[in-house]
Amino acid sequence: MPFVLSRRGFALGASAAALAACGQAGLGGTVNVYSARHYDTDRALYGAFEQASGIAVQVLPANAEQLLERLRAEGEATEADLVVAADAGNLWRMQEAGLLQPATSRALERNVPARLRDPRGHWWGFSKRARVIIYRKDAVEPIEVASMDDLTHPRFRGQIVARSSTNTYNLSLLASRIERLGAENARAWAGGVRANFARDPQGGDSDQIKAVAAGEAQAAIANHYYYLRMTQSEDPAERAAAEKVALVFPDQAGAGTHINISGAGVVKHAKRRVQAVQLLEYLVSDAAQILQAPLNTEFPIRPDIAPAPALAALGAFKEEEVPLDALGRHQAQAAGIFEEVGWR
Amino acid sequence: MLGPPASSPARGRRSKMRRGMNLIARVDGLALIAALATLICAAPAFAVIGFALAPASAGLAFGADLLADGAFGTLALTLAGGSGAIVFGAASAWLVSLCKFPGRGLFEWLLVVPLAAPSYVLAYAYAGLSWAGGISPVRIEGFWGAAFIYAMGLYPYIYLAARAAFASQSACALEAARSLGARPLKILWRVALPLARPGIAAGAALACMEIAADYGAAQHFGLTTLSTAIFRAWYAHGNPHAALQIAALLLVAALAFLSVERRARGRASFASGRWRQLQRYELAPLPGAAALVFCTALVTFGAGLPLAYLARLALVHAQVEDLARPLLNSLLLAGAGALVTLALAAAIAVAARRVDGLGKLSLFAAGMGYAAPGAVIAMGALALFGLARAGGLVGGLGVGLTLAALLWTYAARFAAAGAQPIDAGLARLSKGVDASARSLGAGPWRRLVRIDLPIAAPSLAAAALILFVEILKELPATLILRPYAFDTLAVKAYAYASDERLLQAAAPSLLIFLAGLAPILVLSRGLNAARAGFR
Repeated sequence: MPFVLSRRGFALGASAAALAACGQAGLGGTVNVYSARHYDTDRALYGAFEQASGIAVQVLPANAEQLLERLRAEGEATEADLVVAADAGNLWRMQEAGLLQPATSRALERNVPARLRDPRGHWWGFSKRARVIIYRKDAVEPIEVASMDDLTHPRFRGQIVARSSTNTYNLSLLASRIERLGAENARAWAGGVRANFARDPQGGDSDQIKAVAAGEAQAAIANHYYYLRMTQSEDPAERAAAEKVALVFPDQAGAGTHINISGAGVVKHAKRRVQAVQLLEYLVSDAAQILQAPLNTEFPIRPDIAPAPALAALGAFKEEEVPLDALGRHQAQAAGIFEEVGWR
Repeated sequence: MLGPPASSPARGRRSKMRRGMNLIARVDGLALIAALATLICAAPAFAVIGFALAPASAGLAFGADLLADGAFGTLALTLAGGSGAIVFGAASAWLVSLCKFPGRGLFEWLLVVPLAAPSYVLAYAYAGLSWAGGISPVRIEGFWGAAFIYAMGLYPYIYLAARAAFASQSACALEAARSLGARPLKILWRVALPLARPGIAAGAALACMEIAADYGAAQHFGLTTLSTAIFRAWYAHGNPHAALQIAALLLVAALAFLSVERRARGRASFASGRWRQLQRYELAPLPGAAALVFCTALVTFGAGLPLAYLARLALVHAQVEDLARPLLNSLLLAGAGALVTLALAAAIAVAARRVDGLGKLSLFAAGMGYAAPGAVIAMGALALFGLARAGGLVGGLGVGLTLAALLWTYAARFAAAGAQPIDAGLARLSKGVDASARSLGAGPWRRLVRIDLPIAAPSLAAAALILFVEILKELPATLILRPYAFDTLAVKAYAYASDERLLQAAAPSLLIFLAGLAPILVLSRGLNAARAGFR
């Protein structure tokens, strides 16, 4: 397949660039990564790092909450050096559990915007995702879904779908609202959206988008890349479904669109701290930032790196300015509010 | 099953003394090994209960609602899915065992095939088939959708147990009924079913516990059960302690459930030593066609349709990934896990028959883990490991220790799936045999090797194959307790499915299914040879 070839070719080129950028060979050895993010593209990313640094990357992919328990049980005997998660809330929980250590460097400070990392360096974002509204083109005017608040409007009674609030993306979405506007507002919003549900939450973000495309609802909450992926799907039925819907970055006239990160932090009892920091630095380096964006359809963490063409085609947008550690701080409260309004 | 030989009132005090001596005599190798096996299998579950009882750091907001809804959801789902599985399993077993209709021979083994499909894979496949954009006119969703999936995926447990029971029933009883002019349905209702009750109860117990433990399908379908409540408390509320508390509830419920099952099974021991080929009842064309349609539907909805859907997805996703390594890892883990669990389960099941009271208790204790999600049992094992590490007993989770912890968790989770069939197999041993052997001076080991094991051999084989397939399908414990760079098929499928890349998830899911198929077919064939009196 030409797509595969070009992907691989791109990865090779980028890793060569990274090698050149690094100049001298690194420390060698290995670095062990616990990863709650399992994109195919991560393999390419780590492969490029291995070539550039001479440090072998061993990965244990699992889910974030269970990795936390494993780290807790392993304590100082752990072999893990770096933890990767696809959500700031999970990184915050690991930090709270005392499983991460502050780690910083000039390169990290320079490359990661302050809002997208822990102030003391327990974790660092390396790519961004936006939580957006997907609407059916033949039923909704974009102006009607310009804000997340619009989803509570009576006009959408029985027309909204969203996934379960057990999912961390929804928890973080509500947590950021708690941070900005307080718990009362958050409760009213969650209750309003809940009142407009077309059905009880089921499935993942992709299922919500498909439901909108199939006419079962008019609008859905989803992460941007699920939509992007559908537009590029190998399955013609998915591409056809993506044709019927469009994406809006909500709250452009207000606080901005909610964003979250894929990020990583150095494990408290890491045996190979230096290598772990080096991998962290690599993840936010020019080479990796340019490499990863087109591979996994997330936005680069760095404002100075242009997103991949498909992402750029979605248009530039204003981001919500909530410091991401707030997502973790309010997560439990968000879960309670969801529970209260009956959005499970 | 057998108590001490001396309990006649005439013997008085001496008998008491003798009983004491007997107890000591029985605290021999076998009993010790059984106790150890129970301890090993039950430890993670007990750890979960123990940690749940520890004082809470933070209460769970709205915990009562969540708990009540979860308990109700689990109860309703177990009832609905479980009774579906029982009806489908018992009816199909009766049809292929005692009736003649077109395709009977084929269905005899085809009906087991759905056992190879993990519930979570069925859930994803049916969601893809019938939710928005799917081709199915009927939507498989919500409560009834999940109940349908459980019934379709789990009826083989009852089918296998019931078939074995029907096969080992005394032909005489059935023929007597027939010669007295009873119609087939009446024979089923009045003779065959009551005779098969212990087997059906054992299979139903497994199916119901599996439903209670399921997280993947229930979560995808948006249901609130005790299992989804566990993960809601853990993941959403960030409160693993509350998760353990809910899990403890589930474990205790499993204990109660197991004892109810045991009571339902009764003390009955219906086995008859005599056996001969039963004359199957020839169904008239119309009922015969109905039987054909019924069995076809079971195989189609339990396996064929989801399988075809996965195959189509795998074909759409043209990029071929190398799954040889994960396949090998899956087979290795499933093989090793099945052997370890089988050995422990066998020790427990044999002891349960030999040692009064305590033996049965150990069967319950070791069986609990089957009703809890694998992630919870893994958390129990991890916490115990953490304690051992803090106490300086072990070091870090290196490859060896990780694998050991993983095999241990498998045993803790699946001991019931091994012990139940073995126990049911041993139930065929009529009580007199062991007593005669003992009166002839055979020691416990000799009786084990010469009587118990040969009698239970077919059930041991069946248990081994069930365990192999269970572990092949197992996800959460494998996910968190495996060493670096050790992916299995289930882990591969999870990684893609959790990222909603169902096209990529299709190939590994399909492979889990196919890898489980071979042992299941062996299991199905072997059952024919497992009839009582056949040796």
